[in-house]
Amino acid sequence: MAEKEVPPALVAQTLGQYVRASAARVRAGDSGVLPVVGAMVAILVVFSIWSPNHVFLLPVNLVNLFQQSAVVMVLAMGEGFALVLGEIDLSVGFVGACGAAITVQLVQPVTTRWPWWAAIAAGLLFCAVFGAIQGTLITRLRLPSFIVTLGGFLIANGLFLIILAFGPFSGFPLLAANDTNVQAVYKLMWGNLDPTVSWIGAAVVVAGLGGFMWWADHRRRTSGLVAPPASLTYIKVGLIAVVAVVVVAISNTNRANIGVLAGVPWVIPIVLVVLAAWTILLERTKYGRYVYAIGGNPEAARRAGINLSVVRTIAFMLCSVTAGVAMLLYASLLGGMSNNVQGGQYVLYAVAAAVIGGTSLMGGRGKALHGILGGLVIGGINNGMNLQGLRFELQYIVTGLVLLAAVAIDALSRRGASSGSVTRV
Amino acid sequence: MKFARITALLVVALSLAACGGGVASQVVPGKKIAFLLPESTSPRYENQDRPLFQAKLESVCGDCTVMYRNANGDAAAQRQQADYVLGAGANVLVLDPVDASSASAIVSAATRRHVPVIAYDRLVISATSLRYYVGFDDAAIGTLQGDSLLAALKAAQPSVVMLNGDAADRDAAALKQAVHKVIDGKVVVAKEFDTPASSSDGAQLEMTQALAALTALNGTVDGVYAANDEMASGAVAAIKAAKLKTMPPVTGGDTELAAVQRIVAGDQYMTVYRPVRQEAEAAAVIAYDLAYGVAISASMTGGNTMDNGAALVPAVLIQPVAVTRRTVISTVVADGFWTRAEICTPEFVQACQAAGLS
Repeated sequence: MAEKEVPPALVAQTLGQYVRASAARVRAGDSGVLPVVGAMVAILVVFSIWSPNHVFLLPVNLVNLFQQSAVVMVLAMGEGFALVLGEIDLSVGFVGACGAAITVQLVQPVTTRWPWWAAIAAGLLFCAVFGAIQGTLITRLRLPSFIVTLGGFLIANGLFLIILAFGPFSGFPLLAANDTNVQAVYKLMWGNLDPTVSWIGAAVVVAGLGGFMWWADHRRRTSGLVAPPASLTYIKVGLIAVVAVVVVAISNTNRANIGVLAGVPWVIPIVLVVLAAWTILLERTKYGRYVYAIGGNPEAARRAGINLSVVRTIAFMLCSVTAGVAMLLYASLLGGMSNNVQGGQYVLYAVAAAVIGGTSLMGGRGKALHGILGGLVIGGINNGMNLQGLRFELQYIVTGLVLLAAVAIDALSRRGASSGSVTRV
Repeated sequence: MKFARITALLVVALSLAACGGGVASQVVPGKKIAFLLPESTSPRYENQDRPLFQAKLESVCGDCTVMYRNANGDAAAQRQQADYVLGAGANVLVLDPVDASSASAIVSAATRRHVPVIAYDRLVISATSLRYYVGFDDAAIGTLQGDSLLAALKAAQPSVVMLNGDAADRDAAALKQAVHKVIDGKVVVAKEFDTPASSSDGAQLEMTQALAALTALNGTVDGVYAANDEMASGAVAAIKAAKLKTMPPVTGGDTELAAVQRIVAGDQYMTVYRPVRQEAEAAAVIAYDLAYGVAISASMTGGNTMDNGAALVPAVLIQPVAVTRRTVISTVVADGFWTRAEICTPEFVQACQAAGLS
């Protein structure tokens, strides 16, 4: 049973042992990201074969797919904080929309003309305060997060409409002006890095990550601690390098019908920065361990001396801030902010994306990466079905089925629970 | 002196007679027209309907008074407002109902006092004694959009992408049918979508995917049907992102300011304008006629009726008009629906000059 209780990376001394330990884990029910990667491959294969002239696989569509999925991905990474705690945040869609609307309003050159960075900071600050208030109500007054964030959802929806109504824009402030501050916000989604810069950036990221992973293992080894086999580290770095080369190569092909449109879109590094920040926070810091501990078993965490209120409040704050980033990308995608943001639907998609990616609704288990993977699955289904011109009713049904499959896998894996909270019967 | 005293007596006698032998009032009262509007979130009611109605009524009837009330979206408040104006002696009710069904109670209450009711902009459902309906001919919008799109298309057998509204919305479904009736057979509908919640982000996703799919097949997009301005905004964003050789004509729907600005800038081809001035003025004229018992000429309704579930209500149907770059000035600007200052914000100043707007 030992190999099921600790990650294989910690017990395996050779690559062979690692593979056997991983296989044992999967058999025991802890399948990790395997199901969602399987779903992604299935989506890729089905739509590539099916779509006219295999357009699904063309660079222009793959870049579109990433841009279309980015909002849900980042929103799901934020929602992940609440889910790992075993809570839920229903307000993320409209809280984030409020933050983004504040930013879009503040950069308008005819009214407030704030610099873009200050406007973004103000929008995210709003989200942080809103999240902190919700977190405080949940932890100090011990109100259920479902109800508090449901109230927050309605309040934020109202505030959102009020914020939009300011200025001479009849409720639809645009990001269209030829003003540097407006363009900076507009380009979050639509800007592209120069192709050469894209290659250099990718090389720096791969070298940096590889160096860090090697250094971390090296330090463990020299300190006489167990470290994963060196060959495993090489394989991981190699995989990251391959992904980076593929992403940059795809992005650097010309995607325009006329003129040139090439280079890695800004939104990819933006999403990766959020991913890196939240991965490090959750998996490499004391705070992250506390989050998992509370999500796994709050009573045990409390007895271990963890300050539950503070950890939870911060988690809800981070959740709202991340939502602010997500909806900022939404505003950029839309080229402005309009009052028909489907804030409720985005929350549901964010929860679905996190769960499809492998985050458990029961708390204690989930990573930032899950939001990205789940977001790509949902985005891939919508993208492929729209290429086909299929009715949106079918998109809802297929997304629903994938979600049910993901929850079923989560529940099944809990029967052989090797991590996370107690099994629910 | 004697003469003056007789005149004074005569005046008092006459005014007493006019009041039906009543007391006090020295002035001969004109008729009272109640104008009940539903809400104030949409700026049109306070900025358009109210002043236009009042101005027209004053011009046809110097001594009529308008009793204006706005229910701020509350059906119960509207009921109270109706009771109040009826109690205060309104002679005609012009009612834009907050709730089309429950407002039939207002119509019954007015009928009991022999006060005629005109439904304004929205029909009152299942009210038997409703005298008139004044509103827009929404059934004509699909035809108008389809005809405009056809007029803008130059190619033989042009290829069109259709972005319809939400399939669950009855009005959107009717619109879709009407547009198909006009364009089917004259264009190739290359891709067609029903857009959940008729949202701009939904339309943007659909348009992006339609362009990707059609480009892969070496197809072209000669025109885009977007059912409303929200969806048109999504379609335009998607087309710009894909960097097409030429901007295909994109239709729209409800005269949003952003849409008018896109039209001025040449990004959107048309939107549909419901001329509020005509609607408000027609309602004012009919209100006056009903108040003074003037026979209403058949040409006002053109024989049109609306079925509200209980009766066939004589209907004045105002025709929607297409707003293109060429007609912006003669429609929305002329009516004051959007002012030059509102349209020509700094980023549109140049486009406004080019369109002759500044």
